[in-house]
Amino acid sequence: MFEKSLYDLIRGLRNHKGNEKEYIQNSLKECRAEIRGQDMDLKATALLKLVYLEMFGHDMSWASFHVLEVMSSAKYLQKRVGYLGAVQSFRPDTEVLMLATNLLKKDLTSTSVTTMTLPIITLPHVITPSLAMSVLSDLLPRLTHSHPAIRKKTIVTLYRLALVYPETLRPAWPKIKERLMDESEDSSVTAAIVNVVCELGWRRPSDFLPLAPRLFELLVDSGNNWMAIKLIKLFATLTPLEPRLVRKLLPPLTSIIRTTPAMSLLYECINGIIQGGILDSGDDSVGGEEIATLCVTKLRGMIMVEGDANLKYVALLAFNKIVLTHPYLVAQQEDVIMECIDSPDISIRLRALDLVVGMVNSDNLMSIVGRLMRQLKNSRSATAEELNHRPAPIEPSADSDDESPEAAIKNAKGASDAPLLPDDYKVDVITRILEMCSGSNYGNLVDFDWYIDILTQLVRTAPIPDATSSTSNPEPGQNDLKVDVSEKIGDELRNVAVKVKAVRLQAARAAETILVSTYNDSSSNLTSGSGILRPIAWIAGEYASYLASPEGTLTALLQLTKGATPPESLIFYLQALPKIFSMMAGDEQLAWTPERKTMISLLMARVIHALEPLAIHPDLEVQERAVEFSELLKLAAEAATGQEPSQDDAQDAPLLLTQAIPSLFIGLELNSVAVGAQKNVPIPSNLDLNQPINANLSNLLKAVEFSGFDAVDEDEFEIYYHKPEAQSQSVAEPATNRLGAAEEPVHSYQQGGEESYLDPDIVARRRAERLERNKDDPFYIPPSDRSGGSTPLHNILQSNNGTDMDIDAIPIMQLDLGKTAANKAGQPSTKRPSASKARQRIQVAADETLATSGTSTPRNDDSENSLEGHQRPKAKGKHSLLQVDSSHIGAFSLEGDGSSEPIDYERQQREEAEMAKAMKEVERLRLEMQRASERIEAAKGVEGTVVKKKKKKPKVVEHEGEEDGSVAVVKKKKKSKKSVIDDGSLDPEAAADVVKPKKKKKKKAKIDEGIVDPEGVVDS
Amino acid sequence: MINAVLVFNNAGQPRLTKFYTQLETSVQQRLISEIFALVSHRPTGSCNFLPLPPLLASSGTSSSSSPHEHNDIPSLVTYRHYATLYFIIISTATESPLALIDLIQVYVEALDRLFENVCELDLIFNFETLHACLAEIIVGGVVVETQLERVVEGVKSQGRVAKRPVNESRGVALGGMGGNFGWAGR
Repeated sequence: MFEKSLYDLIRGLRNHKGNEKEYIQNSLKECRAEIRGQDMDLKATALLKLVYLEMFGHDMSWASFHVLEVMSSAKYLQKRVGYLGAVQSFRPDTEVLMLATNLLKKDLTSTSVTTMTLPIITLPHVITPSLAMSVLSDLLPRLTHSHPAIRKKTIVTLYRLALVYPETLRPAWPKIKERLMDESEDSSVTAAIVNVVCELGWRRPSDFLPLAPRLFELLVDSGNNWMAIKLIKLFATLTPLEPRLVRKLLPPLTSIIRTTPAMSLLYECINGIIQGGILDSGDDSVGGEEIATLCVTKLRGMIMVEGDANLKYVALLAFNKIVLTHPYLVAQQEDVIMECIDSPDISIRLRALDLVVGMVNSDNLMSIVGRLMRQLKNSRSATAEELNHRPAPIEPSADSDDESPEAAIKNAKGASDAPLLPDDYKVDVITRILEMCSGSNYGNLVDFDWYIDILTQLVRTAPIPDATSSTSNPEPGQNDLKVDVSEKIGDELRNVAVKVKAVRLQAARAAETILVSTYNDSSSNLTSGSGILRPIAWIAGEYASYLASPEGTLTALLQLTKGATPPESLIFYLQALPKIFSMMAGDEQLAWTPERKTMISLLMARVIHALEPLAIHPDLEVQERAVEFSELLKLAAEAATGQEPSQDDAQDAPLLLTQAIPSLFIGLELNSVAVGAQKNVPIPSNLDLNQPINANLSNLLKAVEFSGFDAVDEDEFEIYYHKPEAQSQSVAEPATNRLGAAEEPVHSYQQGGEESYLDPDIVARRRAERLERNKDDPFYIPPSDRSGGSTPLHNILQSNNGTDMDIDAIPIMQLDLGKTAANKAGQPSTKRPSASKARQRIQVAADETLATSGTSTPRNDDSENSLEGHQRPKAKGKHSLLQVDSSHIGAFSLEGDGSSEPIDYERQQREEAEMAKAMKEVERLRLEMQRASERIEAAKGVEGTVVKKKKKKPKVVEHEGEEDGSVAVVKKKKKSKKSVIDDGSLDPEAAADVVKPKKKKKKKAKIDEGIVDPEGVVDS
Repeated sequence: MINAVLVFNNAGQPRLTKFYTQLETSVQQRLISEIFALVSHRPTGSCNFLPLPPLLASSGTSSSSSPHEHNDIPSLVTYRHYATLYFIIISTATESPLALIDLIQVYVEALDRLFENVCELDLIFNFETLHACLAEIIVGGVVVETQLERVVEGVKSQGRVAKRPVNESRGVALGGMGGNFGWAGR
């Protein structure tokens, strides 16, 4: 057969551009054959090739037994390949690991340094508790090996052993400590110990306090920056336990900060001071403030350094930690931090974003949010540009169908130089904005009008997945996130509407605008399925009396209920419809004139027409609501036709319209309720949820099933009523605003220019409102285009001149110093004084809880949510992908040598000897069995394929299947070794029998079958 | 501690993968491609730290978490770009970010010493040496050596370092350290 070296393989790969797949499959096949052969050289080469291919994602777990074979080779270079194979391919469930124990132990005691190194560096990758237990006795003596390279590696390996098998530390720690204390120890070994202690330190800092003097000595004298960094990190975990350390540490730390040329060390010093809680130690003599200022100035310097983004990044990281304790110090650095928010580097941006959330207060909230909004807006306009370039009207950042996700990201990013932000980032920014504004129950927010405008703007900027993809997208997680964020914005608007009575009108109007524009405005990216429309529809319904045009809103809602609207949204729309209707129709005062009658009848006909098709909607919830409301309206329609109209007040409107329907929706005002308050509601004693409401329910349902409703086709009626109105009230914007206003760069020198992040129509409305508000203010200078010949003051004088002099009418009464001063100072046309807003004393309702609530009620959820609230629960339970679980070791005390029951080291060794004996026996059995199975295989001949193999390895040839089996037996026998050895049985079946009662995992059952099966085959 | 060391080229082809925790091969590949997607489109002059790839970010960590509770979770992805190659280190919060950048430099310099003007091809054909060199610097996710001489010495003690095959060396002028390997070949 043609043999290929690794070199040939790689050459071949490079020569087979285009059909690599085929080439790799062929190579794998060859490797499979080669690795089975007897020639060790060939085996090792094949293994090396497999390891190489594994790097590209070609599974080699099937070869684990051969890895073991190569590992046991006598030649060092082959052995090295074997060990590399083990490192790269062994997984916790690799079964041959049991067989490797002896080999590892043997190599650990090798005379050659290089050979000995192999098991030491391999063990951390394959370690299991039982393996740790058995190799520990061989590893420990290596701590005193004459070669420093062996010593330092052994120390680290012992640490990894301790992570899975904490008992390791009991015999190992005293020796490691001895090494650490030894001043003549090799510097690399000392550094390695420090690294290990640093890793162990944060779990159980108290155990390492006694080492502090030695560590301190190392910090001051060693002059090794790498080690100093680790030492400082270690001290940062120790200082909270021993406050006296602070005083000792500060002089060297500050001197390092002032003198060191190494930026990394400087940074870690500052970081150590922050993390060690030195900043906020109550001790005045330490001069915490002074230190804090020093740190902050240094960090500021790091951000300011031109051209070194890494320093920016780490400085932001450090600020993120300071902000928890000293938010004001960080807030002073707002200018440099805000620079970072606009950095082209997304890593830096994200860190700055984290930071901003922490340092926000009522003074800087608006400017920070404004900045973020501008980012979102600008990125969106870049998107619009992109749209013009591309024929397909899809968002460039959205996944395209035919490409892999990575490629799509590439395209989106590489397509233009404009800051085209990935959607994830946008979502993040939006979430942060909402978080900042709503934090501590809107405590930082002074201007709710502004907030509502921000929310309206966010609705337009938010990345919204189109409705079709939300149902068919294969990646639900990602999509949920996006739906979530748009719905979050809606929820915010709803919260404001509910909690802040003062701006309820504005909130309702905003909701109305969004609803109407969804259906009117083709440029709107909202669809009837958008999550945001759910809370929006609720607002429109609940606060229908605030709507500017209930009629238009109703039309929009009716339109939304059509088409392929998801049921979750339909529920909301359906509920909002009758609310708006009852508001429109239910006026008691109005006379029942013929016009009114006609109008209301028509209105009802329209609503009923829209509801009827939904009465057979497959979703039960939708169906129920549709049926309820349409039946109710039909009754009302009947009543309306029955009631004769009259021109005077003689005839009242039907009671059903004026009394019954409104009473469904009017009652106590709805308030926001704290999360968890519901739990405090006592369950009524007579409530039995198991009792059927109607015993005959299923029959009833069957009877009603499908009573031939045809889908209503688009008719004249429909077209007449549901055609969008040409212009709806609030979208009307001055034509001048459309003239190139959109892409205008910011001219204002003030950061707060709203034009830069709000859409023109919103800005126009704000300006109009401002004019309205200030029209009585003599000192308010209106924008030039509006100011005619007469000033407001002039007007007032004129109007007052005719009448008698009335002291109260003198405009001076309206002077408000705070307001006017601010007005004059700021640019009247753009900047609105926040001071005037602050005076408004807007009341924000707090969440309601039950009065009887015990301790379980979260007091005020908003304030707790702000920073840590989200993460706490997550931290538990789930394990991160690459995480090394060291939780076991946390419970292990180093100092408790005598107190807690000591595991007898000698006894353990005795046990190990016994185990070794047993293992030998097992090995012998295995060989016997292997030979037996080989005989069976030979007997089977061609029909060997009958053997059932483990599902996990579908391609394994049966030879391996049996090996698996034998391995499993070995494993089992280890547990029940006594019985097996007494038994002395060599028959695999018998062995399996012995094993069976001890079986723990179901998985093993299959393997046992694997052994029995060949027997069966032979019998047949 | 260090959770993984990865090396891949400008096309995302892995040249070295070393995970200090056991991970399914398929998951490893996904992680590599996610990181590659992140790293391959960094604007010039950006920092050497990556935001967490989705695979790591989803597993329950957030950047603004308190420092002491999540020390087990990989929270830092540091990279360095040399000519055609990206060197990546994934680590937990117990490592110093700036020191990790230097550590990558140590690794690359050691390789340069071993191969004399190292280039991507050397690493492709001698990936065993690549592993051996890494094992001199990091064992089980903990840094054991940072001195260049000792690392080189350690690798050389294991046997002769193979040279690149003669006929492969055309156009392979990948020399010079400090981020400006000038490999113009291919």
